[in-house]
Amino acid sequence: MEIPYIVNARKDTGLINSKIAIWLFLASEVMLFAGFFSAYVYLRMGADYPWPERTLPVLPGLINTFILIASSVTVVFAWVALKLGNWRQFQIYMGITVACAAIFMVFKGIEYNVKFHHQAARLHDYTVVEGHLGYQKDDKEEYVLDRNGKKIEENRIRVVAEKLTFSVKRFHAPWVNEMLSEAEHAKSSIRLIADIKAIISEGGEEETIAKAGEVLSIELLEKIKQVQLDALAHNSALRTDALRMEWKEAKLANPSKRGWQLSSDVNIDMAALSPRLLTEISTVEFTVDPPTRLLFKPRDIKEGAASSTLRDATVITGAMEASPMVFHNLDAIDFQWLVMKAKEKGISPESAIANSWLMKNSKFVREAWTWHIARNENRQAQLTKGYGLKEDGKTPKRTLTHKELYRLGWKDLGEMGVEMQQVKIGGLDKIKEEFMGPNYKARGDKTFPHLSVPREEIRHAAKFTPAWNTYYAIYFTITGLHGLHVVGGALVLLYYLVLGRKMFLSNPEWFANRVEVGGLFWHFVDLVWIFAFPIFYLM
Amino acid sequence: MADSIEAIQKAKKTYLLVFGALLVGTVLTVLVATVPALDVGGHGFDIYDAILGLVIATTKSTLVAAIFMHLNHEKKLIYWVFFGAIFFFFTMGALFALSESSPIYDTFFYK
Amino acid sequence: MSAHAAAPSGHDHSHDDHHHEIPFWKKYIFSTDHKMIGMQYGITAMLFLAFGFYLMMVMRWSIAYPHQALPEWMSWIFTDSWKARWLQDGKVTGETYNMFGAMHGTIMVFLGIVPLGFGAFGNYVTPLQIGAVDMAFPKLNMVSYWVYLAGGLIMCASFFMESGAAKSGWTNYSPLAGFADGQIVNQWLAGQTQWLLGLICLITSSLLGSVNFITTIINLRARGMTWMRLPFFVWAMLVTGFLLLLAFPPLEAAGIMQLMDRVGHSSFFMPSGLFTKSEGLADLSGGGSPLLFQHLFWFLGHPEVYVLLLPAIACVAEIIPVNTRKPLWGYKSMVYSLLILGFLSFIVWAHHMYMTGMGAAVSTFFQTTTVLISIPSVIIITALLISLWGGSIRFTPPMLWACAFIPMFGIGGLTGLPLAFNLVGLHLHDTYYVIGHFHYVVAPGILFGLFAGVYHWYPKITGRYMSGFLSHVHFWPSLVCMNIIFFPMLTQGMAGFHRRWYNGGDAYLDKATAATADGANVFANTVAQNIDLNIVMSYGAWILAVAQIPFIINLFLAWKFGKKVSSDNPWDATTLEWATPTPPGHGNFTFDVAVYRGPYEYSRPDCDKDYYPQWEAPKNKTQASAYESTDKGHH
Repeated sequence: MEIPYIVNARKDTGLINSKIAIWLFLASEVMLFAGFFSAYVYLRMGADYPWPERTLPVLPGLINTFILIASSVTVVFAWVALKLGNWRQFQIYMGITVACAAIFMVFKGIEYNVKFHHQAARLHDYTVVEGHLGYQKDDKEEYVLDRNGKKIEENRIRVVAEKLTFSVKRFHAPWVNEMLSEAEHAKSSIRLIADIKAIISEGGEEETIAKAGEVLSIELLEKIKQVQLDALAHNSALRTDALRMEWKEAKLANPSKRGWQLSSDVNIDMAALSPRLLTEISTVEFTVDPPTRLLFKPRDIKEGAASSTLRDATVITGAMEASPMVFHNLDAIDFQWLVMKAKEKGISPESAIANSWLMKNSKFVREAWTWHIARNENRQAQLTKGYGLKEDGKTPKRTLTHKELYRLGWKDLGEMGVEMQQVKIGGLDKIKEEFMGPNYKARGDKTFPHLSVPREEIRHAAKFTPAWNTYYAIYFTITGLHGLHVVGGALVLLYYLVLGRKMFLSNPEWFANRVEVGGLFWHFVDLVWIFAFPIFYLM
Repeated sequence: MADSIEAIQKAKKTYLLVFGALLVGTVLTVLVATVPALDVGGHGFDIYDAILGLVIATTKSTLVAAIFMHLNHEKKLIYWVFFGAIFFFFTMGALFALSESSPIYDTFFYK
Repeated sequence: MSAHAAAPSGHDHSHDDHHHEIPFWKKYIFSTDHKMIGMQYGITAMLFLAFGFYLMMVMRWSIAYPHQALPEWMSWIFTDSWKARWLQDGKVTGETYNMFGAMHGTIMVFLGIVPLGFGAFGNYVTPLQIGAVDMAFPKLNMVSYWVYLAGGLIMCASFFMESGAAKSGWTNYSPLAGFADGQIVNQWLAGQTQWLLGLICLITSSLLGSVNFITTIINLRARGMTWMRLPFFVWAMLVTGFLLLLAFPPLEAAGIMQLMDRVGHSSFFMPSGLFTKSEGLADLSGGGSPLLFQHLFWFLGHPEVYVLLLPAIACVAEIIPVNTRKPLWGYKSMVYSLLILGFLSFIVWAHHMYMTGMGAAVSTFFQTTTVLISIPSVIIITALLISLWGGSIRFTPPMLWACAFIPMFGIGGLTGLPLAFNLVGLHLHDTYYVIGHFHYVVAPGILFGLFAGVYHWYPKITGRYMSGFLSHVHFWPSLVCMNIIFFPMLTQGMAGFHRRWYNGGDAYLDKATAATADGANVFANTVAQNIDLNIVMSYGAWILAVAQIPFIINLFLAWKFGKKVSSDNPWDATTLEWATPTPPGHGNFTFDVAVYRGPYEYSRPDCDKDYYPQWEAPKNKTQASAYESTDKGHH
């Protein structure tokens, strides 16, 4: 049995199978990206926050565009070389193509990595601050280290645990292990408060499952969990049987009545049943002695002044410490959203900014903003000079954008540093900044200062990841998916390059067809990027 | 498909031309977005910049599709399949945008 | 073997695979043969259908008897600890009901009917009907089955997890589905996330399948099999393939975005200021749009309805001409209607979203297209109906089901018409009327069509007929019970019964006064008047379950003990699948296939039999040469 039209085209359609298939596949890819790009349009049109336009560094994006276009040309040249029967040339061109794909992914990786380490926070008054999280300075001016001796550079909530109450069914083992190792590091012990006693067989005596003072371990929790699960299963089966009996009797007694008429009178006789039930243990309590500081991601904990609850229902009794978010280096101050909200309420932008927490609490921000306003007047004057006024003779034809007016990005801060603090920065460092973002080392604390924001001022905080806003969400999703396509396509092309010799020798025409099909996919990947680049980097 | 040797050699030239055009288009699209003197419409990003950017991108992608992907001389069937998908791409985007731009609560409840 | 099939089999299996034995695992498990893959699809899909049916019975118990523990015969399947987790004193809780409801819909649609219609019948029959040796990409075909199975297992595995399976409805609307199972620390192990992962597998499988199908139909048609000689079944598969190809990817996009929402904490579908009971003010960026998910979902969701429907119609359209011994009435108009239907199905989706607050312009657009799409559907159904007119009808088992399909699907379709209008939607949205409507389409409609297909092609697959007696025992109770289940839904829905009441409306009763059904609480009275229908419907469901037993017995017993077919073409049909040996071997045909005429040449006056198969060479020389001149397909 042989499938026809693999090498030679069918006469009436003029096509080989794989050519049809790849175009069908590309059609479905078009629809996949239609879903994403429509989502982009939809999210941008419906955004209730200032959309971060033209926010990505253009240079890496531009270089990547060049690389991808070049690879598109080389892949077509590789195919041409095959058509001419030139294996050597095919190897060269295909090699360049795959190399281009690799370089593209390296640049992509750098771009992503920079974002994953860049923190942003939105305060309750809709001010946005950006920068890198630093260490938490204690009263003693020491670094806070985690148990591995690393400086803590993450956004964490700190709780001093005195008592831990675990949900027997839902405790999350990795978290328990983490608590244990924190306690070990702090030389404190986590011990059971009271004896755990339970009836574990029907009609049996109460038995001690665990004794007070036993040390917390996963095994202990698992043991109690098993007792609980068995008890639940047993009791539920008993109650189910009892309910069935009750209904049977109720129906016999009232044959003419409907179920919903009887339902309020049919109840399980718990008094009769309770001697047969097993003990259900839903929580177990442990003391932490001496009390130990534990750190949690904000998402995992519902913090309270005296007790906090984790996502796995563990209750931690103990005071929450001040857990400010410390920007070791602040690199952007953004009032765009605040101004948008102020305008909705009819408040003037100036007074809204002046009354913001940030302006009130940071001398640096006040100075920077004064500098910014002066510079903006200057920029506006230049625009008015260049493009003139409208017919009414008052309003300028071109005005500064919302972003220019109300956002101080890291480039602006850098400019200010050069101007006000006489910070010098080398050309190489400047180019590096285009790829890696603000260079704290070169520009120093005067340009990108320290800022500590109290926990209670923060409404939402995230790295520059999909969690930060819908712009980054769609940016990462589309470019990430595009990246996956690049990797997938490159692997196929690499396969042709490395293992193609045999195919080329046995059936050059067929091999050329396969390369053409692989190339079509590669061009499509390029095509998506041609749209993704301006949409994400330039709009 | 370019099958004879001469035709292929000739096609190579076309490919290089397209390569050049794509590079120029890329530079152009960056320039109009970053150089204030080339900024169309108002100052900063606006709908005109979006249209211009998309026009350049569409031109570039047309070149890729037509020359590199050989859509300039392809079978009818493939046109149907691919442009059918493109059609639904735009239908989808347009209807999404339409439904986002005219929500009923804007006209009845808020005003 | 009959004469025409015997003639080509003269040079039997000359190039076939009888030289070497295919090992068991390669023949039955990792098979690349489209027929074996079709059967794998069929068996898996039927198992999923049975499971989905079971979930439905539990739900129906909860609706009819919300205060009573699940009976033993239904709950024996669970372990005690599972029951302790998910049932309260043996009663179905709201959470469990939601879980079963969501998974019932998902399993029936994505794991049951699509794989049965498109995967099983499509795979088995399509290459045979176009005279191809196999699918264009046999390995891809195999991969697509395994990815489908993996997706299904991933979804169903979540029943046994701490979180349970997905609970946000088969439509999986955000924001509900975005933060459901939020208490689970490792989100990758939450049922709601598993649902998305499973769905992404299923979509990938469908994409591979549809690429394969379309390529096969375009490029692997036999000599002389021109477009207008394609059986309607093949046309339907082609259109279904395109629907899957173009409509599924946006849902894949939505699935990926929702996955990002769940594990990456993005806010694609999460609005600003989202406040929930479990989370409080959600720690999210907000700024997303729940409506975006609905758009992307229904962009698939509506074409999906036709993905379900077309294979069933296709089976019926094959069965009716065979059993009426006359050509399909209006074959060409059916084909064109099919194409228009396929096209229109992409631009009607937002009629599922009338209540979301879209503007009048958008609503009007979608109302118009929705009403328009009923035209091609009605043309197809009418053509099928007229095909019966003046035929010499043989009431074979497949024909019974096919005949029942037409009115049942008719009710389903016609009850859908009012829903096309947004004004009516105000009243009927999310009521049992909607449930009744689409279940009429899907259960007695589509499933009957697929049952017809099983009975019709069974002799080709196994070489034996299914028992006629058992098929009657299967058919009549099924027909009656389907109507007992679904017709009362229409009345209940018009009375305002909401589709997601896990207790069938019990909570809305005014129990003090409703005994007389004229209390002051008007809605409670309405509920009281209609609530007893719940019990009627549930009894319908139990009997329907019993009625499937003869089918299962029939399916297995006939394989060994059924009456043997006397020829390769037991129904005296005209399409190419009947020209193969029974069952067809690897490579399908034992002769060089050529096609000489349309697919439904029955009772032609110039032919001595009452059917003129597509593959039979004309005796008349001029006809033969006329054919030769149109033949461009051969290489």
